Amino acid sequence: MPFIKIDEKEFEVAKGITVLQAALANGIEIPHYCFHPVLEVVGSCRMCLVQVEGMPKLQASCNTSIGEVALDKKLDGKYDMVVNTQTDAVKQERKNILEFLLLNHPLDCPVCDQAGECYLQDYTFKYGNAHSRFKEEKRVRPSESLGSNIVINQDRCILCSRCVRFTREISGTNELFVQNRGYHSKVSILKDKPLENLMAGNVADICPVGALLNTDYIHKNRFWNLDTIPSVCQDCSAGCNVDVFSQRDEIFRLTPRENHDVNGYFMCDIGRYGFHRFEEIERVNQPLVRNGKSFDVIDWAEAIQKTADLIEQSNGKTAGIVSPFHTNESNFLLGLMINGMLGMLPAIQAEEITYPSGFRISADRSPNQRGMNNICGGLAEDLSSEIKTQAIRGLYILDDGVDRELDDAWKEILAKMDFLIVQSYAMTDLAKLAHIVLPGLAPYEREGTITNDQDRIQWLRPSLSIKAESKPDWEILMLVNNALNKKAENFTGLDDVIIKMGEQFPNYSGITLFKIATQGIALNGKKM
Amino acid sequence: MSAFKPVLTQHIHQQDCHTLPFYQSEGGYSALEKVLTMDPEDVIDVVKNSNLRGRGGAGFPAGIKWGFLPKDMVKPTYLINNADESEPGTFKDRLLINKAPHQMLEGMLIAAYAIRCNLAFIYIRGEFYKEAEVLEKVLSEAYAANLLGKNILGSKYDLDVIVHRGAGAYICGEETALIESLEGKRGCPRLKPPFPALEGYLKCPTIVNNVETLSNLPHIINQGAEWFRSIGPEKGPGPKLYCVSGCVNSPGVFEEPMGTSLKKLIYENAGGIKNGNQLKAVLPGGSSSAILTAEEAVVLNMDFDSLMDAKTMLGSAGIIVMDDTVDMVQACLNIARFYAHESCGQCTPCREGTTWLVKMLTRMVQGGGTAGDIKMLYEITDNIGGLIDFSKGSFGKTICPFGEAVAWPVRSFVEKFEAEFINYIPQQETVA
Amino acid sequence: MKSKAQPKSGFSFADSERVERILSQYPDKKSATLPLLHLAQSQEGYISSSVIDTIADLADCHPSVVMDCVSFYTMLYTKPQGRHTIQVCQTLSCSLNGADSMVDHVRDKYEIEPGGTTADDRFTLMKVECLGSCGTAPVVQVNNDYHEGLSLEEFDQLLESLE
Ligand SMILES: Cc1cc2nc3c(=O)[nH]c(=O)nc-3n(C[C@H](O)[C@H](O)[C@H](O)COP(=O)(O)O)c2cc1C
Ligand code: SF4
Ligand code: SF4
Ligand code: SF4
Ligand code: FES
Ligand code: FES
Repeated sequence: MPFIKIDEKEFEVAKGITVLQAALANGIEIPHYCFHPVLEVVGSCRMCLVQVEGMPKLQASCNTSIGEVALDKKLDGKYDMVVNTQTDAVKQERKNILEFLLLNHPLDCPVCDQAGECYLQDYTFKYGNAHSRFKEEKRVRPSESLGSNIVINQDRCILCSRCVRFTREISGTNELFVQNRGYHSKVSILKDKPLENLMAGNVADICPVGALLNTDYIHKNRFWNLDTIPSVCQDCSAGCNVDVFSQRDEIFRLTPRENHDVNGYFMCDIGRYGFHRFEEIERVNQPLVRNGKSFDVIDWAEAIQKTADLIEQSNGKTAGIVSPFHTNESNFLLGLMINGMLGMLPAIQAEEITYPSGFRISADRSPNQRGMNNICGGLAEDLSSEIKTQAIRGLYILDDGVDRELDDAWKEILAKMDFLIVQSYAMTDLAKLAHIVLPGLAPYEREGTITNDQDRIQWLRPSLSIKAESKPDWEILMLVNNALNKKAENFTGLDDVIIKMGEQFPNYSGITLFKIATQGIALNGKKM
Repeated sequence: MSAFKPVLTQHIHQQDCHTLPFYQSEGGYSALEKVLTMDPEDVIDVVKNSNLRGRGGAGFPAGIKWGFLPKDMVKPTYLINNADESEPGTFKDRLLINKAPHQMLEGMLIAAYAIRCNLAFIYIRGEFYKEAEVLEKVLSEAYAANLLGKNILGSKYDLDVIVHRGAGAYICGEETALIESLEGKRGCPRLKPPFPALEGYLKCPTIVNNVETLSNLPHIINQGAEWFRSIGPEKGPGPKLYCVSGCVNSPGVFEEPMGTSLKKLIYENAGGIKNGNQLKAVLPGGSSSAILTAEEAVVLNMDFDSLMDAKTMLGSAGIIVMDDTVDMVQACLNIARFYAHESCGQCTPCREGTTWLVKMLTRMVQGGGTAGDIKMLYEITDNIGGLIDFSKGSFGKTICPFGEAVAWPVRSFVEKFEAEFINYIPQQETVA
Repeated sequence: MKSKAQPKSGFSFADSERVERILSQYPDKKSATLPLLHLAQSQEGYISSSVIDTIADLADCHPSVVMDCVSFYTMLYTKPQGRHTIQVCQTLSCSLNGADSMVDHVRDKYEIEPGGTTADDRFTLMKVECLGSCGTAPVVQVNNDYHEGLSLEEFDQLLESLE
C-alpha cells in the first residue's frame, strides 16, 4: 500500500486511487466541481489542482493516481507521494478558476435556490476573490426547461458536465448533451427527447451549483430554513436512504442520502416526489365507531376496549392482516396480539427497473415486505381461502394506506365478516367498511424499522408531527394487546419492541435503533 | 555545405506527380519492399536512429513514440495519419497530399508495418474536400496494385486504410481530440495519461503521426538514418517544409534543411517583404508560437532547439510574416478570436478565458481601453496558459496544450509590442 | 448543394450501398457517425432532426449523442443554408491580404451579415477560420471548392457566376 503525505497528514492509501479520493477520504478538502465519485473522471473544471512534489506543473488531483515507487525513489525515504494543497500557487490557481467561472455568472445568490448548498458560493467565499475584474458584457441566456421536473438556469451553469455524464453513465437514458462548443457550449436536450426518466431528479442533486433545479422545489423555501431528517424512502422495497426536508410540519423535498450498501448516491423520482401523495389525503384523526352508514367519534379508551371485546368475543376467530407498508414493530405486535391466523392482502406489484449503473427500483412497491415476512411467522399463503375454511369471523387490519382493486373472493369476505377493525391514517376503501377505525400515523409521521429486499434493516424516522388524536401504530397495538390480555406489557419505546422481536426472531436480536443508525444493518450475515 | 536538394517535394513540379505510375517510375514503394522483409522492431530502430521528430507541432521523436506501444499485442494497434492541418499559417500537408500522396502512403505503410497495425486512418480536415478525393483515388490505385489490402506485395502483411474527414474544428488536430472525433464524438481532448500509445482509438494502442512526418519515412528507409541525421541539427534533423505567408512577395511552402535561417526563408525563399515595407514581426511556428520581433527573427534558425531557446517554437513551421503596416493589437485580436472560436470548451480557463481576451481586445480597438487592461492581458493569459517563461515551466492549467497555444502568442504580442497596446488606451485613462 | 430542403418527416439515405460500405469499414459503428453525417448533408443540405434519428439508429447510439457531435463542428449545419456557402477565411494571413474587404463586399452587395442567407437563398455568407492555404491568401471556399489568391474583382466575378 502506498504511503503518502498530503499537507501535514500521512496515511496509507489503496494503490491506484487518486489524490482527490485519498484527500476526501481523509478529511482534507480539495475543492472540485467536475469530479463525482461515481462518474467518469473528465478533469475539466480545473478546480482541484494541487502541487505534487517532483512534478513541475500543478496536477489535477482528480486525475492523478497514486502508485508505489521504488524504495530508492521514496520521498524523504518513505513517501510514495507528497502532495501540497495549500501552496501559494495552488491557492492562486483556485482564485483564477473561480474568477473564470464567475465571469458570466449572474451573481444572484440572494434569489438562488441552491444558496447555502452551492459549491460556487461556498468555494468563492473560502478560496475566491472578493470582487470581479470583468468589465465586459456578460453572456446572458434564458433558463430552459429540460423535462417536466427540471429546469436549467444556463447563466449559473459551470459546464462541469456531471449532469450529462449522469444521463449517459448512471441512468443510461442519454437525454442531456453539450450543445455547441467553446464559449457557446450549453447543456441541452433534443426538443422531442426531453429529460424524462425515473432517475431525472438526481441531476439537480449532483449539479454542484444552482443551475439545475427541481421545479417541484423552485423558490419554495431556502435551504437554511429547513429541518433535515435522515430517513428511508417508503415507495419500494429497495429502501433508498433519503434526507427529508421539512419546515413547520410540511415536507418540501426529499433528496437521496449516500449509502453504498443501498442506493449509492441516488433515488428515483417515484420516491422523490412520492410525499405529495399524502398531502391531499382525507385523514382519520380520531377513533371512529360505525353507526349505521356513518361513524361516531369515540375516545381512545373506549375504542381500545371495544376492539378488545370484539376480538375476545370472536373466540379465536379473528385473523390479522399485516402490512408490508408498516414497520417491523407494528407487524410484530399485531402477530403477538392475534396469535393465530395472519396474512396479507394481495401484494402490490409493478415493473422492476434496473439502470445501467445497477440502481434499481423494485417491482415490490411496498417498503417492508421482507421485514413483514421475517417477523410474522407462518403467514397464510392464501389468506382468502384460509379465512373461509377456518370460519374466521373478524379481521384486524393494519391498513396499507394504499387502495387496490380486490377480487370477488375478498369482496365477499369483507362483506360477510362480523367485524372489521381497521388501523389506518386515512379513510381508505377498507376503512370505509370498518366497524372500528383506529387512527394511526401516515408514512412521514411513522417511526420504526423496516427491512429492505436485500435484508437490510433500516431506521425509518419521522419528519412530521402526530396529527390530532392519532397514535403511533405500535402503541395502538400494544394498548389493544394489553386490554386483551388484561396485563400491561410495558414497551417504553421502539427499542423495547425490537428486543422482544429479537427474542422470537434471532436475526433481529441485538439490534437497537442506535446501532442501525443512519446506514442500517445487514441481516443476511445472520441465520434466520 | 553542399547545396540542399529537396527530398519530400523533389517532384512536385512534375506532371502527374501524384499518380502511382509516376511514383513508381521514381523508385516509389522500394522502401516498402525493403521493410516488408525486415523485422518490425528493426524498422523502429532505424527510425529511432534517424532522430526524426514529429512535424505536427510537438516535435516528439517518432521512433520513441512507437516504442511506447505495449509489447504484448493483445489488442489491435491503429495508426492515424494526422492530416487535419488547421494551425493558422500552415499549409504544407495539403501540398504533400496533392503532389506526393504516394510518398505519404508509403510512409504510412512503413509506420503501420513497424507498429504491427492492420487498419490505419487518414484524418483529413473536412474543408480539404478535393484532397480527400485525391486520397480516395490514391487508395484505390494502391489497392489495385496490391500495395494495400491482404498480403501486400506477396508478403504476409495486411493493411487497410480509411480516409476519414473531419468537419470543421481546429482542435481535432490535437491527437486525442482527433481520436474522439474519429470515434464519432465531439472533438474534446482527452485527459492524459493514458496516452494514445496505450489507450487511443477504441481504447486500443494508437499512434498518431503527421503527414510530413510519415512522408519522411520512405527516404529514411532508402537512404539510412545516418543520411537523415546529416541534414541540419543532429538532434532534430531532416528536410523540413516551411510555410511562409503573410506580408511577403512570394508566399509558399519551401523545403530546406532543418535549421535554415528564418532570414533566408523570408528574404530569399519568400522573396522578401511585400510593397517594399519593413519586416516587423514573425510568428515562426504557426499562430500558437510566441511572436518574434524583426530583430529577433532575422538571427534565428528554424529548428526545434533554436526556437525553444528563443522562447518560442518550431511548431508546424507556419511562418506568418507581418510588416510595419500591421497593427499589432488588431493582429493579436485576430489570433485571440481564432482561439476563442476553436476552444473545445471543456476546461474552465480556456473556455472562459479565450472569450474574455477577445472581449477585452475588441473593447480596446474600439476605443474603450482602460488603464488596467495591459496588466489584465498578462494575467488572463497567464491564467489560461501558464507562464511563458520556460525555465519555470508551464503550469499545465488545461487538459490540452491549446491553453498554452493561445496564451503564448497573445502574451508575447503584448509583451513585445506593449507600446501599441498602450496607444489604444485613451489619454485620460493612462493618466489616471 | 441542394436547395433549401423542407424539413421532411422521415429521412433515408439515397445511396444505401454507400452507407453499408461506410459502416462495414470501421471496427465499430459509432465511428461511422461523421462520414454518415457528411453523406447525409450532401444529400439534404443540412442535418435535420430526422437525419439525426436515422444516423443514431445506424450508429447504435442515442440521438442526443449524435447531436452533441453535430453541434461541435462548424461544417455541419443544423439549419438549411443558401445554395452556395461563401466561406471567407478571416484568420491572420488572409486578413493581412485583404480578406476583411471581401466580407465587406458581400455584405454590402448582397445585404447579408456573416451567418446570413440572401432572400433568394442564393448565398449564405460565412466567416471561417484558417482554411489551411495561407500561402494563397486570401482564400474563399465556395461549397466544397477553394478559390485562392483572389483579387476583389475576381471574387466579385466568382460570385456573379454562381447561380
Ligand atoms: C491544439 C493543437 C492542434 C494541433 N493540430 C495539429 C494538426 O493540425 N496537425 C498535426 O499533425 N498535429 C497537430 N497537433 C499535434 C498533434 O497533437 C500530435 O502531436 C501530432 O499529430 C503527432 O504527430 P507527429 O509526432 O508526427 O508530429 C496539434 C496539437 C495541438 C495541441
Ligand atoms: S447544469 Fe450543473 S451539473 Fe450540469 S453541467 Fe451545468 S453546472 Fe454541471
Ligand atoms: S427506488 Fe424505491 S426506495 Fe428508492 S427512491 Fe425509488 S421508490 Fe424509493
Ligand atoms: S485547453 Fe481548451 S481546447 Fe484544450 S481541452 Fe481545454 S478547453 Fe478544450
Ligand atoms: S475536479 Fe479535478 S478537474 Fe474538475
Ligand atoms: S489564414 Fe486563411 S487560409 Fe490560413
